[in-house]
Amino acid sequence: MTTHAVEAWIEAPLARFVEDARVTLALLLLPSGQVLAQHGFTRSLDVASACALAAAIQASGGELGRMLDGRAFTGLHHAGQDRQLFLAEARTRRGTYIFLTVFDQESSLGLVRLYFDEFVANLAAAAPEGDVAVDGVLAEHFERDLNRNLAALFGRA
Amino acid sequence: MSSPFQAMLGSLMRLRGVSATLLVDEHEGMIIDSMLQFGQDGARVAALAASLHRKARKSAEAAGLGEVAFMELEAADGRICAAGRHDLVVVAVTSSSANIGLVRVELLKAARGLA
Repeated sequence: MTTHAVEAWIEAPLARFVEDARVTLALLLLPSGQVLAQHGFTRSLDVASACALAAAIQASGGELGRMLDGRAFTGLHHAGQDRQLFLAEARTRRGTYIFLTVFDQESSLGLVRLYFDEFVANLAAAAPEGDVAVDGVLAEHFERDLNRNLAALFGRA
Repeated sequence: MSSPFQAMLGSLMRLRGVSATLLVDEHEGMIIDSMLQFGQDGARVAALAASLHRKARKSAEAAGLGEVAFMELEAADGRICAAGRHDLVVVAVTSSSANIGLVRVELLKAARGLA
């Protein structure tokens, strides 16, 4: 299973996280739901769905946190019977990203959280200088950019 | 806030050469309770020690050796010792000069006392 990223600087930190934390799936996306990197997915449709859901969950969690605690909740863990999900914000100088990962009994929440902190630090260190407007996605470009990123990740660019 | 495990962790901490004691959920790798010296990263130790214990338990099962009673990792400057029961693992971080025999006995006793 390989790791693919739309922007090359993301690939090494993500691949290292996947190897260290022993997760089965990983996604890095913009708060708008556009995918930037993925590991473990075999179909672009699954990536698009997971990104849309992750962005919606993060937005809901953020708003719920602001209502209850005065500030956005930045992470979420959901334990299923066999697999678990961890969703959190990753901040770099290029902007804020959403990170979603799925793991099974080969890993644990403690390991995922531990290596997530390292991943964010590595991502922040690898982020190139420059004012790339990753947060400012225009609605009219959304679908075009979404499809372009999916095509890049699944070798149809 | 005091937890039901503070007395058990405290008695382990009083052993010579023990610098940290933790009660960890083996499945989640998360700290349930701990006693740490200032500056120690308990979350990191807990996640990695739980992972080691889980893998040791699986290895022992695969080899037909039964349950893991005690696990000891020896490094250049000290040891990580762990004993588990059910899904819980008691972990002690010690210096090289610690009396490992005594740490082993006390860890096994602590693990037997877990509900």
